Amino acid sequence: MSWTSLMTVLLIIHGLSAVALLGAITHQASSVWWPARARAGSFVGRFRAVPSTAYVTAVIVLYPLTMLLGAIIYTHYTIGARIELIQLQLWKPYGVFEMKEHFAAITLGILPAYWYFWQPSAAPQHLRVRAMLTALLAFTVWWSFLVGHIVNNVRGFGS
Amino acid sequence: MTASRQFGLFTIAFAITYPIVYITAMEVNLALFTYHPAIGEFGWGADKPRGGPAMYWYGWMSTSALAALAVGVMCARLPESLTRMLPAALAWVVPFAAMITAAGLTAHFLLR
Repeated sequence: MSWTSLMTVLLIIHGLSAVALLGAITHQASSVWWPARARAGSFVGRFRAVPSTAYVTAVIVLYPLTMLLGAIIYTHYTIGARIELIQLQLWKPYGVFEMKEHFAAITLGILPAYWYFWQPSAAPQHLRVRAMLTALLAFTVWWSFLVGHIVNNVRGFGS
Repeated sequence: MTASRQFGLFTIAFAITYPIVYITAMEVNLALFTYHPAIGEFGWGADKPRGGPAMYWYGWMSTSALAALAVGVMCARLPESLTRMLPAALAWVVPFAAMITAAGLTAHFLLR
């Protein structure tokens, strides 16, 4: 398998892992910020009615895994697509990707606190802290997912 | 002080320190190490580019993680009378402020 093919496979796994993470953190954030008040009947209602604590382990595993895969592919991006973005002066996709890199790195540092504040022993007096940490994670995951998708589309898959 | 409370203090101190050090590291290039992807080599500290672009991002995160780990462990060992003054809300306020700062520092690319 060539280096480029390996990077393409890792990019696909990174994308799949990101989709799973996106699902977990979106379920959790919506159930925290927009909880279902009554018995959920609609699709959106059932989406909001999930037990939010059920996603903590998934997020704690998937965030570092997705980031690790992204960090490996990042070397390929740096010596390939990034140089082309600069040469073509595509500053907007370049800039939003730079933000993605920083947001993902900063949010990595809140994972221990996120885990701690989601433990039953830490709960009642820190509901706002828990909700805000979840919101920061959700924002970063959505930003990273959309920006990664856009930047990948700029150059084209497998090119 | 229970082990759980000590771990809580550690996570709050870690969440506060890590983004502050990350923004500082990114601004003054305090990378613990540098990766040179074109030649597949590592260098200690903020190394000059070799054979292509240099990657400092991993080094910035490592610097931040080490500093946050040290501060977190120290905070967890402080007496409860001192740590009671540490608001838990800082665990999200400081990272949030750091994200806004990072966005501000890279926003010039969007204005070109």
